Amino acid sequence: MATSGSLISVPGGEISIEETMLLDRLRLLKASDKGYYVVHMHLSSLRPGNRKPHFIKIAMRNFDDLLANFNVTLYCLTTDDIVLLCKDVPVEEIDPVIQKTRQLFSEDPLTDGEDGSIDDKFTSWYDFSNQEDLKTFIEIANELTVQALLQKKKPEDSKPMNSLAGARLGPTSTAEIQRSLQRVNMEDLIDEQTCIIVYPDEKGLVMFREKFVSMRALQKRVAPDVNLFGSPWLFLFLTETVDRRLLAILSQGNFASLKNHISLNLNISSVLGREFQHFHQSVGNNTDKVVIEFQLIDVFSDMNSYGNARDMLQDLGYRVLIDGLSPLSLQFFDPSQLMADLIKISWGQEFESDDAEERVEDMRQVIQGMGKDRVILGRTDSENAVKWALSLGITRFQGFYIDNLVDVMQLKGIL
Amino acid sequence: MADEKSRRLPSQEKMLLDYLRRLEDHKSDRQAVHLLLSNLKSYNRREHHIRAAANSFEQLIKEMQGQLFLLENSDLFFFFKTDVRGQVETIIQKIRFLFGDDPLLESEDDGDESNFTVWYDADEQYEDILKLIQGLVNVKAQKRSHARARMDTRAALKARQREGEPLTPEVLAKVETALERADLSNLVRRQYICRIDSQMIPEQSFSEMFISIADLRETMIPGVNLVSNRWLFQHLTESLDLRMLSLLSKTDSYTISGDISFNANVATLLSPEFQDFDDNISAAKRGSMIVELQMIDIFSDLGSYLFAREYMQDKGYRVCIDGLTHKTLPLIERERLGADLIKLVWHPEMIDGGEDIQENVRAMVKRTNPARVILSRVDNREAIDFGHSIGIGLFQGHYVENLIAEDNRRRELLKLKRRMERAAQEADELDAF
Repeated sequence: MATSGSLISVPGGEISIEETMLLDRLRLLKASDKGYYVVHMHLSSLRPGNRKPHFIKIAMRNFDDLLANFNVTLYCLTTDDIVLLCKDVPVEEIDPVIQKTRQLFSEDPLTDGEDGSIDDKFTSWYDFSNQEDLKTFIEIANELTVQALLQKKKPEDSKPMNSLAGARLGPTSTAEIQRSLQRVNMEDLIDEQTCIIVYPDEKGLVMFREKFVSMRALQKRVAPDVNLFGSPWLFLFLTETVDRRLLAILSQGNFASLKNHISLNLNISSVLGREFQHFHQSVGNNTDKVVIEFQLIDVFSDMNSYGNARDMLQDLGYRVLIDGLSPLSLQFFDPSQLMADLIKISWGQEFESDDAEERVEDMRQVIQGMGKDRVILGRTDSENAVKWALSLGITRFQGFYIDNLVDVMQLKGIL
Repeated sequence: MADEKSRRLPSQEKMLLDYLRRLEDHKSDRQAVHLLLSNLKSYNRREHHIRAAANSFEQLIKEMQGQLFLLENSDLFFFFKTDVRGQVETIIQKIRFLFGDDPLLESEDDGDESNFTVWYDADEQYEDILKLIQGLVNVKAQKRSHARARMDTRAALKARQREGEPLTPEVLAKVETALERADLSNLVRRQYICRIDSQMIPEQSFSEMFISIADLRETMIPGVNLVSNRWLFQHLTESLDLRMLSLLSKTDSYTISGDISFNANVATLLSPEFQDFDDNISAAKRGSMIVELQMIDIFSDLGSYLFAREYMQDKGYRVCIDGLTHKTLPLIERERLGADLIKLVWHPEMIDGGEDIQENVRAMVKRTNPARVILSRVDNREAIDFGHSIGIGLFQGHYVENLIAEDNRRRELLKLKRRMERAAQEADELDAF
């Protein structure tokens, strides 16, 4: 009988019964039941970026034929792991489907090992004709149930930004939000994050402080019920208004007495608009104190505008930084050709995994192409990341871990 | 003077400023002369006049006796070693002679201080020179930003008059709601991607189905420029994708012959709507379909793109990256993106932009398998000749549509001719009978 479990809603929260169903089924299995085996696919170990709900849904559909034609039950667990309980199914029937699933996630280091090989981290097989295997898997299923319960309890804050609560952003809500963005007080939402240069003697120097409007706080203020990140395009549209407000607020500052250099993340269109002109008048002769950051996606959307904006800014004495580079994007293009002054690459676990050699090699080439003094490691969240980057020659850092480091360094007086 | 090359270099004003800063430590025995060519009448300030004046200093520059700066307002600044002051004076005399008919020079004799030349001693008057140049740099920066502001307003006004009101989220909401119900089948256009031989005879490879944005605007919201904001437009394309899918699944209302391509966002391919679409078409049909993805969409979420590409190719669809330009092509590691085809947008700059761009495009296309490159938006013969010269075999655009029409006419004529010949032959045979 081919079945697939389902989710049920109970008062007080949604509790997955997939795990419970799996456990029940396992308990009912007797030593005399022949031909059973389990394939456990560890999708929960995929990188967060590769573990999006619609990816998992599409991956599950790969098994439709198998479920229809063989004695297979599929359990999709809360952790995103998939468990196939099979009876008397030829392994040759399972292999191609698993291979297909593996292929879907081929960018993820998890899928690098061959099926059944010693370094296969994607699947685990349990043959229940072996009592030991059955026992081991029941323990695992218990463990997975505990994990499922823990995951349900996870606070909202620990989830990634783009999974903020609220309705999906649509054109109508965008119109309303845009109107309130034009009025709402934003000055107190301007936050800053320090980018530092680390020297071999462990001393540091502030390279610049990035000024930005905290989107999480802004959402609370203007649209508590809408997920601003629900549509990437409409979000980008709204950032154009945020840019204008930010520029207007910063124009009131005194740039001559500015102690640290600053950076701003702007749309290219914002730099070519009127608000930037006022900002520029206020900056005056201090353009060398200001870094303008552009998002890669914005650059790609109109290379001509980017070229014009970059030339203009550089002529005026500003420095231009390309933000939004990731270990992944470095594989697909060479940022040195954008002729920016600086680039910011987000730290990612991808650099750390055992088989990261290719990604690290990409990074080496980028550093070589740009010159190490023009590369900043962003989203630095651990000491490991700093060590890793230093070993490649990168000395410029920004991120949560750096924020803490800045506090410590300031206390010690070495910044 | 403001040609492409010099515009990209740092301005002469800035270079002069740098030079001055370096000069600070060895400014003794240096002098400078400022030639105020900007005060001349405009008919004396043409490019060849300025060039001639600047060239007069060439010998001294070659001998490393001095350095010349040509400012944006046409003024010249010449720094020289005190030893050659005599030679510099002679050169200035020659230049004065060159502009002898200008009221500026007619009205004054050639004293040291004048409206035409100002002499400086670099050592004693260093601060004066520095201030002057700094002033010039600032004026230039201000002028530029003012000019840009004027251009902004002017360009926006012009765009509004020509293309219509810019798209707002409110209007976008209305359009998207209307799209859900509208029958768009009469807005679907089809353009062919063809191989073209040296005789300019096209052979169809596949066709792209798309919803005409211009016609959509005319039918739904005349007077609004749908593409004025790229982010809002990008959102609109997601709605259009879904309409296209539903049109494509009603294949019986369409007689789609041959392979076809259609535009889609990555998000669309991963949506339940696409799953439904995919469930309802046969495996054979998938093999005849090509999805076109925009580069900007791909780079907005590379992880999703890679997942979607695997998924689509595994199902049997082919993937084409649309919207690459001669500026983005050299940046992208196309091989790694793993698409089956790429579309390169034709731009006259590929030929006019100089050897560098041409070579770059050639090398890139060669590295990518040229057979997988489509030159799109081809609107003249030149584009096809260029494409052929770098090995591109596939073309799309208005000019290709014209070639197809012409080819059809030619075939019709040929058919007609054959029919007439046959008729004549039959008549002959009848006669003979």
